[in-house]
Amino acid sequence: MDSEKFITLRKGLLEFLILGIVSSGRVYVADMMQRLSATDFATQEGTLYPLLSKMRRDQLVDYEWQESETGPPRKYYKLAANGRKQLAEFREYWKSLTSLIDELGKPSCKQ
Amino acid sequence: MQTVIQVSLSGHSKAFQLEEDAYTALHAYLERARSRLKRDPDYEEVLRDLEQSIGEKLAHSLRAENRVISRREVQVVLDEIGAVNTGNGDTADTAQTDRPRRLCRIEEGKWIFGVCQGLAVYSGIAVEWVRAIFVVVTVFTGGIPILIYLVLMFALPVVHTYDEYNASLRTHSGAM
Repeated sequence: MDSEKFITLRKGLLEFLILGIVSSGRVYVADMMQRLSATDFATQEGTLYPLLSKMRRDQLVDYEWQESETGPPRKYYKLAANGRKQLAEFREYWKSLTSLIDELGKPSCKQ
Repeated sequence: MQTVIQVSLSGHSKAFQLEEDAYTALHAYLERARSRLKRDPDYEEVLRDLEQSIGEKLAHSLRAENRVISRREVQVVLDEIGAVNTGNGDTADTAQTDRPRRLCRIEEGKWIFGVCQGLAVYSGIAVEWVRAIFVVVTVFTGGIPILIYLVLMFALPVVHTYDEYNASLRTHSGAM
């Protein structure tokens, strides 16, 4: 799954996956990476921080600072109103896409 | 003798002590991040996030010991964080397809003043070969390459690391 086409596809999906992770509650960047680490979407902070900053500008996510025991305060992300809406839209769309892809492979019923 | 550079990173109240080449690597990373993020309206905030994260990882590797951080430790942290990727395709890989070359002195891994390393990178020949040719030609010509070396030593611009060299190529190509 490392061909250029799949890589491009995954790049576009990452943002929606982040929305999915953030929808589970307040999450820290390390939690996001942990969640994605064993998947095809494993990513690094060098990618995540610019993406999260863009998502915040689009009002998809928001963050708040929380004190940490081991270091400086950390940013904890949560879904913003647009993000909730977009995640629901994406899930619907994804469902319709997968059923479409399944359908397309099958021979047509009307012979 | 060793030069130690104190660095304060965003969010961290305590300064980090870095070996000189560790500092150079960190500085080059942040400069490259800055240049890639220049179109991001929140680039200062993203840089702060990155700095804070680098600091957390360095603090973790120090385990509360009060010691100087090596180049290798910094490189491990930077590799973990990964190059800044803005998703606009302006990453190193896309910029390298038709990159201009510049002749520089490269200090990272140098034997004398890094002229041979600069020639190696410029020509695409392994640095070991450049040095070997240099020595052989010196022996047979009675030292002419030494003169050339001295001229280049003064004439060429200096970069500290390969990362910095690559970053300078990108900014160079971006400006054209």
